[in-house]
Amino acid sequence: MKALILVGGFGTRLRPLTLSFPKPLVDFANKPMILHQIEALKEVGVTEVVLAINYRPEVMINFLKDFEDKLGITITCSQETEPLGTAGPLALAKDKLADGSGEPFFVLNSDVISEYPFAELIEFHKCHGGEATIMVTKVDEPSKYGVVVMEEATGRVERFVEKPKIFVGNKINAGIYLLNPSVLDRIELRPTSIEKEVFPQIAADQKLYAMVLPGFWMDVGQPRDYITGLRLYLDSLRKKSAARLATGAHVVGNVLVHESAKIGEGCLIGPDVAIGPGCVVEDGVRLSRCTVMRGVRIKKHACISNSIIGWHSTVGQWARIENMTILGEDVHVCDEVYSNGGVVLPHKEIKSSILKPEIVM
Amino acid sequence: MKALILVGGFGTRLRPLTLSFPKPLVDFANKPMILHQIEALKEVGVTEVVLAINYRPEVMINFLKDFEDKLGITITCSQETEPLGTAGPLALARDKLADGSGEPFFVLNSDVISEYPFAELIKFHKGHDGEATIMVTKVDEPSKYGVVVMEEATGRVERFVEKPKIFVGNKINAGIYLLNPSVLDRIELRPTSIEKEVFPQIAADQKLYAMVLPGFWMDVGQPRDYITGLRLYLDSLRKKSAGRLATGAHVVGNVLVHESAKIGEGCLIGPDVAIGPGCVVEDGVRLSRCTVMRGVRIKKHACISNSIIGWHSTVGQWARIENMTILGEDVHVCDEVYSNGGVVLPHKEIKSSILKPEIVM
Repeated sequence: MKALILVGGFGTRLRPLTLSFPKPLVDFANKPMILHQIEALKEVGVTEVVLAINYRPEVMINFLKDFEDKLGITITCSQETEPLGTAGPLALAKDKLADGSGEPFFVLNSDVISEYPFAELIEFHKCHGGEATIMVTKVDEPSKYGVVVMEEATGRVERFVEKPKIFVGNKINAGIYLLNPSVLDRIELRPTSIEKEVFPQIAADQKLYAMVLPGFWMDVGQPRDYITGLRLYLDSLRKKSAARLATGAHVVGNVLVHESAKIGEGCLIGPDVAIGPGCVVEDGVRLSRCTVMRGVRIKKHACISNSIIGWHSTVGQWARIENMTILGEDVHVCDEVYSNGGVVLPHKEIKSSILKPEIVM
Repeated sequence: MKALILVGGFGTRLRPLTLSFPKPLVDFANKPMILHQIEALKEVGVTEVVLAINYRPEVMINFLKDFEDKLGITITCSQETEPLGTAGPLALARDKLADGSGEPFFVLNSDVISEYPFAELIKFHKGHDGEATIMVTKVDEPSKYGVVVMEEATGRVERFVEKPKIFVGNKINAGIYLLNPSVLDRIELRPTSIEKEVFPQIAADQKLYAMVLPGFWMDVGQPRDYITGLRLYLDSLRKKSAGRLATGAHVVGNVLVHESAKIGEGCLIGPDVAIGPGCVVEDGVRLSRCTVMRGVRIKKHACISNSIIGWHSTVGQWARIENMTILGEDVHVCDEVYSNGGVVLPHKEIKSSILKPEIVM
């Protein structure tokens, strides 16, 4: 089977992290975001993944060669010369996706994390006999999104309503689809929206079905949702493979620590923390609701919450980092400095406190 | 003869421009900053230029291959694995600089623009029996800098005083040196400061001389000074090659327009404006004290002052851009938008006005 992952553009919402790496290669729970999806696809028998990209292909391509070898799956890039929206890339990659076997292919939005229940999705799709299945997820405030209105019993999609003013349903498009090759005949090679142009067509032909996504769902394309997403992901890990989480007197709640990371004495780590490869957390450090990326050193007695610490950065002794502070790659926060929501670009040294949320360039 | 240009690091002060290109390749007066220096060096017979860099060598190296061919000068990179300060790079590049000929070699700080009176500098250097010559420039507020105290008649340097509290002189280091190969014997391969460690030694041996830099001088490593520097540069161009400046009813003061740029009807351009290759300035546009980089389109009736518009950006109709607005590469300002000092990272669209100076990421 094949899959297309819509990687898209510049990842500006996840700056400053995306100033160092394209978004799919930004780590989430100690692994590049896109690897979570690729591994789940491989697990259900996908043999080739196509990445639809329009920015910095050379960085992606180099990185993916490594994965191809390690994972035993073919990964190719389909590069847009102009942004093609959410459906155009499918037309661009047509030859790779419709290989004559008649098998359906997956399409994923690269920002989405979930449990990726692809086996259940395949089964549901084969049962209904329609042309396309989209996964939907329940939200509390559907009026902010595009709502999918469906027949409860069968899942057949009746229509889409953009930002409905009255209540029509609470399921929204989760950005995970399984499509028959015939869908490709409906898409022209031009900037096209799959939600606004293609799916409504298929729904009108009564051939579009929706399956409710079990488990958690998050679009981690911006820092606040990235942090919430980590909490949901670790919750899920607690239920499925609790052994991967850290244990010990210094751990509270769900904490993921890479095997190559070192943690000192007298620390209190968690809840909802991920510590990446090669990190050094010195004695007496408090970490909660944060991500610490590869190669970071957190010095003694520092206290970090609700923040993201980018690759190879350092946080000084007794530093206090909180309230959606995002440190880019190679940022060095001096001893005793306070950051309240500072957003710091790569290769900077922070010598004085950041008292209110601001960008430091 | 040889030359070393201290290119250094990340160029963070010139962000967002340096998020797209390493600083030496950022255009100044329609030409990459470093090209101004390399051309002046070639003119006095320098056959090889060594760039001391510690960041993104591959971008530099590709770019410079073009120049090597066009200019007929050898350009090589000397890459620091750790930042070596202002003298360490000389030790690192030793074998390239001391070629056995006994000829002195130039050392330049890459951020400096001036008239580069290198022929006069060579003559002055040969006229005294010292080991090293530094160029100095007069400033109004010497207490903010390192002041060079010298014997007025001969130029022999007596001492350096960092940020003097009482008046000791008003000449500061201009970042342009001509050194005998013997100076290399004084420098170890470790992070070293040429102003704090090496020059004071040579001055103590009474072998350091200073020459006052004729004409203008500016360190254009940050946006405000970049804009002032353009004014000084164009003033100098007016005196030396006025034929290169634009003329016409639509021009006021000093304006440099690349031959491939197009300017519409009813515009008023200047003073102190540089318009780069491939730019399109539509009808009725007002530009003053600004730089418009390669490939930019300024739409009708827009008004821009005291700002820098980055490569391939667009400024919408009736937009008003002022007060140190810096647009990075590929930034699109919508029609009728106002920016008061907005600093915008690459690949952004500005749909609503920026009322006070802030970074848009």
